[in-house]
Parts: sequence; C-alpha cells; structure tokens
Amino acid sequence: MNIVKRIIFYILLVGIWELLYRLGIWPAYVLPSVVSVCKTLIHGFHDQTFLIGIAVSMKRIAIGYGISIVIGILLGLLIGRVRIFEETLGSLISGLQTLPTICWLPLALLWFGLNDWSIMFLVIMGAVLSITIATDAGVKNVPLLYMRAAKTMGARGWKLYLEVIIPAALPYIITGMKQGWSFAWRSLMAGELLIVCVGLGHLLMVGRELNDMSQVIAVMIVIIIIGILVDRLFFVKVERRIRERWGLVKT
Amino acid sequence: MLFCVVNVKLTKLFEDVIVSETIGIVNTIGVERVKVDKEPKALELKSVLPKLQVQHVSKAFQSNNGGVYVLEDINLEVGEGEFVCIVGPSGCGKTTLLNIVAGLEKADSGDVWVNGSKINGAGTDRVVIFQEAALFPWLNVVKNVEFGLKLKGIGSSKRRNTAIEYLKMVHLTKFQNAHVHELSGGMKQRVAIARALAMNPEMLLMDEPFSSLDAQTRWILHYELQNIWLKTRKTILFVTHNISEAVCLADRVIILSTTPGRIKKEFFVDLPRPRDDNDVNVAEYSTRIMKELKVELDKVVKCEMDADSCVECDIKCTTEVSEKTDIGGGI
Repeated sequence: MNIVKRIIFYILLVGIWELLYRLGIWPAYVLPSVVSVCKTLIHGFHDQTFLIGIAVSMKRIAIGYGISIVIGILLGLLIGRVRIFEETLGSLISGLQTLPTICWLPLALLWFGLNDWSIMFLVIMGAVLSITIATDAGVKNVPLLYMRAAKTMGARGWKLYLEVIIPAALPYIITGMKQGWSFAWRSLMAGELLIVCVGLGHLLMVGRELNDMSQVIAVMIVIIIIGILVDRLFFVKVERRIRERWGLVKT
Repeated sequence: MLFCVVNVKLTKLFEDVIVSETIGIVNTIGVERVKVDKEPKALELKSVLPKLQVQHVSKAFQSNNGGVYVLEDINLEVGEGEFVCIVGPSGCGKTTLLNIVAGLEKADSGDVWVNGSKINGAGTDRVVIFQEAALFPWLNVVKNVEFGLKLKGIGSSKRRNTAIEYLKMVHLTKFQNAHVHELSGGMKQRVAIARALAMNPEMLLMDEPFSSLDAQTRWILHYELQNIWLKTRKTILFVTHNISEAVCLADRVIILSTTPGRIKKEFFVDLPRPRDDNDVNVAEYSTRIMKELKVELDKVVKCEMDADSCVECDIKCTTEVSEKTDIGGGI
C-alpha cells in the first residue's frame, strides 16, 4: 500500500511540474520541462559525463569518508575511555561541531590548494565529528556487566576493545556513521561546487554557467538518488540487522 | 582438619558417578564450626592445598542504597571440588567478597590465594556467573560460549566442538544459532554456565545467578547445576540470599553476619544429591540456618526502620530505603 501511495505522489508531483511548465508562467531556463530534464539525464549518461562525474565524486567520498570512519572511531574510543582526552579533546570536538563544514574551505584551500585533497579534507571534517561523538557515547554506554564478564574470561588490552567495547558500541557507531555520511555527502557537494575539478557538484556549476536549468535539475536528481541508494542499500540494512540481532525490534 | 576427606557415602549414593579421591567433604549432620581457623596455615605444611584461600580480607564498600558497609577479616578455605554457598542478609558484603575473589574488586587488606598462588586481578581460572547472564547480544549462543576460548587463542573448529559439548551439558544445542534475546531468563543462565565451563576454570564463582528467575525455572536449574557439578566436580563458590537454595546446592553453607560482615557460622550439608528444594531434609536444614540468620535479618530490618538513627549498628543508613532491598528473601 505504501509503495502505491508513494508512486501516486511522485506522479502527481511530476504532473504539477509539467503543468506549471505548460502554463508558461516562467521561461524554460527558470523552469524546464520534464521531458527536457529526462533528455538531459539520458544524454548525460549516454555521453558518460554524468558517469565520470559520479565516479569522481564517489572516489572522493570513499576516501574521505573511509578516513573519517577510522579517525572518528579512534578518537571516540580515546575520548570515551581515557579521562584526560575526555576533559580536553572532548570539549574541542563538541565545540568544532558547531562550525559549519564549509567554513573549513578557506583553510583547506590554503593548506592543500585547489585540488582533490581540499575536497576530501572537507568531507573528512564533515563526517569525522559525528562519528567521534557517537562512538564516544557508545563506549560510555557499554554496560559494566559486559566489561566484567569479559575480564573474567581473559579479555585485556586491545582484545577488550576489539571483542567487547567496539561490538557493544556498534549500534551507536552505525548511527554516527549514518549521520556522518549525510554530512560528508553535503560537504562533498559544497566543495565540488566551489572548487572546479570534475564531479557532480562541478556538473551543477557547469549547468549554471551555461544557463542550462535542465542539467542543473538532472544533476540534482542524480545527487538525491545516490544519497537515497546509499542510505537504503547500506545503512538501513545494517541497522535492521543490528536491531534484529540485539532484539531491539520484533522480527 | 575437622572434616574428613573420605567419601564412602557419596560413592555409595552415586555409584554411576566417578568420584575422585580427594573430593567430597562429608561430615556428620549438625557439626558446626563457629569460627574458621584464624591462623593462616603455612602453605608447605599442607599435603593438599585448598583450591581457594581467603585470608584476612577486609573492605569498606558502599551498597546500592547508599549505605556504607564493611567486610571484616574474612578467612575462608574452599577445597578442591567443594561446593560452598555464602548466605547473608543484604549489605553483608557477600557479593563484594565474591568480586574480591574474582579479582574484580580490590580488598582494603588481606589476600586471596588460588592453588597456592596469590591472585592479582581477574583471571580465567575464576570465571564469574552473574545475576544477569551477561551474554553478549552481538554474538549468537554458540559464539557466546566460544568467547573465552577465542580469547585464549584456540582454533575455530576446536572451540566450536568444545562449545557444543558444553551446550549439550546444559541441553541447549538446539539453540546454538539463536540470538541472545530469543532465550528465556533460565536459558540465558544455562548459556552463561556453559560459557563459564567451556573455559575449564579452576573454579566457578556464582553471584546470585538464579535470583531473578521464576520459581519453576530456579527449581530446574538447581537440579541441572547439581548434575553438572556431579559430572564436572568443579569447585564452586556460590553467593545467595536464599537459604533453601544454599542448602539444596552446597556441601557447606557459610553464613555472613552484617555490619560488620563477618563469617558467623558454617553448616555442613550432608544430603544425597541431586537434592530437591522442597525436600523435607532440605527444609529442616534451612530452618536451622534461618534461626542463625534471624538475628542478622533483625539487625537489617531494625536499621531500615530506624532509618537514619541507627545506634546499634554503625551503618550509615540513608533515609530512603531501597525497595529492592531483600531481607533474606526466598524463605
């Protein structure tokens, strides 16, 4: 039933859009027709500009997000487990989170120049704090009982982290990763819009420069779809698996 | 030594069970040792070392309801293969004592020796079974049982076999792939027992493991634990506030007094196994132990009634008395 409702909703939305276009209130460069956007999409994939844009953007986010997962979890573990880091680094992290990611752009440009690393730096700064904060919360919420049980069974040092603390904090870490992903995706687009070097954000800018509203909307649709796909195909599945395993929902 | 190390009676009663020579402390009914040996025996003088020695252990601690209690000069010996229960009113420090033996808490003074060597922190030779099963929800049943073996670095197929073997012992092989939350409370505790046994520890430390279970489940688990003990002959130190549980399970019941927590009395339970909670003999023992404990319970009750003006007992009572506080429940 849900899916039917959703399909009807989207058909209506597209219908209204097409209707507004046909009424001719706005010129085509302000509101393009559905057909021209579809044509641009097909053409974009056909001559591979979109594919290249997607590939370049995905490569950047894969590296940046990957690095932020590693750094975020390590920082979260440090802050969650070591008092001195909590008292010092902890306050810095929560302070930094109030800073919009794009504010790192000038710094990134001066440090790395107009290149991929600037963009990936933005991606890392976008995602790493959410992951750090979530990991910290997860680590602090590991029940003492698990720690005691693990200790009597000989868990010590890094094994305690690997076999108990990280798995026990995993529901939190996944939530942080999910939030981090959406921040990373936004930062990536912001970076690509402002730094000219291939990628989906750059394609958006090209659309603007050519006054090609069809391309702008087509690329926006691609960006939304990728965001949804990653969320559905990865995070929703992982979250469901964890909930089932931990018995947080009735299966 | 007051108790003899012969076990003619036990072997007669369980001819099908192999009993090793040094275990099974049998004593005549009613022999009570009011005090355990104050002087720690020089280790070299003993032909057979006790599995566990607790020597002059003292500790001040804070209980859940905020009161400050003390454990004072606890001396205790547990022999190889012996099943010892520690009973006492709430706040007497029985759980604290168990945690000290486990190495999860440090005593203010005194030492704990296992097999003649002093303990230093938690160790795999003393596995604890907690009131809550403490199974890991991210692992399925069989992987929970394998957990300790994995930490020991045992190969995957070997540890799987061991885990299955012990799951068989607690009759849960059918549930080996189940998630932890799919099990009932009793099943969880059985998995916890299997997980502890799979480590093949020197001794099992059990901290009120059945107290949050319903009566029937507890009854079944008393029976199962006795059978497991008969099969494995593990040394077990078992803490409970339930006297009939203690009588049902133990070779020896140790009563702790409260404020200060001291060993008040010991009872030897010489009844054939497996015993039944509702057995007349168990009930008779329980009544006698209850009489001893009554004084201690009165102290606790009086303290809770008087709230902040306890003169007799030097507990720093809080005005709010926790509702959970048990006064020797299960009797």
